[in-house]
Amino acid sequence: MAEWLSTYNETLGLYHASVITTIFGGFCVAFAIVICWPKLVETYGAVGGMIGGSVIVATFWLLNHKLPGIGIAPNCIDHPEGGIQQFGLIAQGFRGAAPWVDMGLAVGVGMWVASYFDARKQADNSLGLIAESAPRLFCVLLGGALGGAIVALIGFSGAEL
Amino acid sequence: MKYLSTLIGSAIVGALVFGIWPEMWKSYGIAGGWLAAVMLISIAWFMNHWLGIIHNPSGKIWVDQGWPIAAAGVAWAMVRFGAQPSQAVGTVLCIALGGALGGLAAAAVKQTNPAFAPNDPEPDSGSKE
Repeated sequence: MAEWLSTYNETLGLYHASVITTIFGGFCVAFAIVICWPKLVETYGAVGGMIGGSVIVATFWLLNHKLPGIGIAPNCIDHPEGGIQQFGLIAQGFRGAAPWVDMGLAVGVGMWVASYFDARKQADNSLGLIAESAPRLFCVLLGGALGGAIVALIGFSGAEL
Repeated sequence: MKYLSTLIGSAIVGALVFGIWPEMWKSYGIAGGWLAAVMLISIAWFMNHWLGIIHNPSGKIWVDQGWPIAAAGVAWAMVRFGAQPSQAVGTVLCIALGGALGGLAAAAVKQTNPAFAPNDPEPDSGSKE
């Protein structure tokens, strides 16, 4: 068992153990946000939503994405077999060489799935619901990629970040 | 117009998260990463979801600002570090599976949990008025 867990899957770029932790990390953050955030907004309004954003996301960031802490290793700790060591539940592929995949994806998918079941109670046309969300989904993905790509351009100005 | 505002809100949250979060973490470690969420996600949520810059009509499927953050992370690493998008597939699949399971579980829990009853009565108002 221990051998299987510490086997590196070349196709996925993840250890088998990392597959389990990544799925569990996504599950936890999606469940907690789908359950808590709308209730916080309902109870405290905008302040509740901002508390939710702060406390839920910040704390789950520690669980899912944390790397070695305060000034210990800002450039990350090297992995014995290349890449960097990862300490969060969500493992980035190929020992950190793959593009950063954020837990926001789990939240987005989780909210999408949960609200689909909520919306389906009123509307009969399930496919219509999905089709209605598709252009908005395209817009958020395009917009996010645009914002991230433009911020990344800072690196080409010679700044060492 | 609603799609343009969705696009703008998404671009801003993506830029905020990947412009500031990594630097906060590198400067202040775990505490900086925690603080970054407090700074960024709360104000981005206020703009995108409380004021509705990301278009979400009621009674429809909710498109969360998690989506643009995930897209921004991949685009940021591709432009900044030349990372290969195909290498992210494993993590994307695992996270999406976990998130979908979480959403399913939450939807199932909401069916039965009294906190999510339709009329949401006061906790102690079991007796009739």
